[in-house]
Amino acid sequence: MTAQTVQQGDLVTVIGLEVHVQLETDTKIFCGCSTDQTDEPNENVCPVCLGLPGALPVLNEGAVEAAVKIGKAIDADIPEETRFHRKNYYYPDLPKNFQITQYDEPICADGDLEISVEGERRTVTIERAHLEEDPGSLQHVGGGGGIDSADYTLVNYNRAGTPLMEVVTAPDFRSPGEVRAFLAELEEVLEYLGVFDAERDGSLRIDANLSIIPEDEIESDDVTEIGEEALAAANRTEVKNISSHKGAEKALAYEETRQKNAIQRGRAVEQETRHWDESRGITVSMRSKEEEKDYRYFEEADLPPLRVSHWKDEISIPELPSARRERFQDEYTLSEEAASKLTSTKQVADFYEDVAQEFDPDLAATWVADNLLGELNYRDMEITGIESRLDEVTRLVELVATDEITAKNARETVLRSMLDDGRTPDEVVAEEGLGKTGEDEVQQAVVEAIDENPDAVADYESGDDGAINFLVGQVMQKTGGSADPGDVNQLLRAELND
Amino acid sequence: MSDDAVNPEAVRHVAELARVDLDDEEVEAFTGQFADILEYFETLDEVPEVEREAALTNVMRPDEERDSLDREEALRNAPETEDGFFKGPNVS
Repeated sequence: MTAQTVQQGDLVTVIGLEVHVQLETDTKIFCGCSTDQTDEPNENVCPVCLGLPGALPVLNEGAVEAAVKIGKAIDADIPEETRFHRKNYYYPDLPKNFQITQYDEPICADGDLEISVEGERRTVTIERAHLEEDPGSLQHVGGGGGIDSADYTLVNYNRAGTPLMEVVTAPDFRSPGEVRAFLAELEEVLEYLGVFDAERDGSLRIDANLSIIPEDEIESDDVTEIGEEALAAANRTEVKNISSHKGAEKALAYEETRQKNAIQRGRAVEQETRHWDESRGITVSMRSKEEEKDYRYFEEADLPPLRVSHWKDEISIPELPSARRERFQDEYTLSEEAASKLTSTKQVADFYEDVAQEFDPDLAATWVADNLLGELNYRDMEITGIESRLDEVTRLVELVATDEITAKNARETVLRSMLDDGRTPDEVVAEEGLGKTGEDEVQQAVVEAIDENPDAVADYESGDDGAINFLVGQVMQKTGGSADPGDVNQLLRAELND
Repeated sequence: MSDDAVNPEAVRHVAELARVDLDDEEVEAFTGQFADILEYFETLDEVPEVEREAALTNVMRPDEERDSLDREEALRNAPETEDGFFKGPNVS
């Protein structure tokens, strides 16, 4: 390990990512064990994922399809031939003492993903994306529960063999905020493709390389272009154990400050691996791990090479979030903000389009983006949780669109009751008496209010215009709040001025 | 590993990667054995070139679930278990 000092002056942060995403298949990548997350340890295991002698891994077609979809979405090359290697290291989460992964011929190479950071478009280069198997999970027990002080280790191989895609970016990020924007976009794309479940515990894990270089090493106006020498000269740290967008932003902001402080105080930044400790909000130095040559990669002879480049033409992928966002702005004349909200997941976007086909797109946008997502968010729910009840939401929009109930009642009473006690909109409307009251009924309530409140009528007639508000209130009470206050006001004035 | 004769340092490094604790005597014994084993591979140089079998490609299975092992069976060879987990030493 060599130390590095940088001249004082303006400093630039350079970040590259390795993002591990679990692919949403029914079974593991090399065996037919279920990928379900169960509370029971070592329930979904077999000789292959336990690494028992003589077991033969056979590749899951579903995982390869998912990888090709991802390649297509990030506009990557799917090489003519791709193959698997063994990465050797000894750790109890890896029962075979090697991980089956891809090395020199990954399934996706040279792609990119466009992100929007503070209104500015940026293209992030994705150098490669490859398939591999997830290791098992460890619990460090006793001695305070820390990894160093634990008394012993419990091992669960249910996760071992879950298909992973490792997405490796170029060092294209200049701030932790950009990293967060990229991860959000990547997650959206993966969800649209139907290959990833963000709700699943541990489905996204991030390692990030961060280094600080002097600003004058940037060679052109393009902030993504940094001289290779400058990058090689700067010591970087690899931050591991990041598991969310927010975590990535926090961990990298911490690491950025830590390195800048060291440099500004004339101290060296060590090239090392650091562990993000989420609960303490800091990164800590890890015992140095193997160098690449120590992994002794060699070809996995049990898995013949893959030739699936033609799958790229055969497998179709849906319209991706960025394209859909733009189309929503054009086709439904939505603001960028509304279009972003409405394309945040495929389910939301599909539902919006269903509603917008039937009713006014603006009304549909208000109902889906503001009312529905707002109320769901407040309850910590996702649209996927009410998928079977979306027809009822459409019916509610219909009740508003056809003027059968007021927008206020629809939002504040009907929608909330639907989510809180499971009633249908028609039930809520009937049971709470929210149907807009007929004109005759309102007229009758107006006459009654005038008869019953001679004092208020006298005040109004003597020039106290404020007295009308009292009478409006009386009518509203009689109609159970279902009359339109503006209409009532006019009806009262007409009646009184007669 | 290079063509150089195996030295004790290389043996210690490999042992460390494999998390095996060797004493000096064992290092010396394995240094000799490593060298012998590597020599066996040189024999392969004398094997004449043969026609390769037609290469397999795209060997895959559908994404369909198959029965897993019973947990009792899965844990049967483990020296120690606890509550359905494999149990091992601290691994810091």
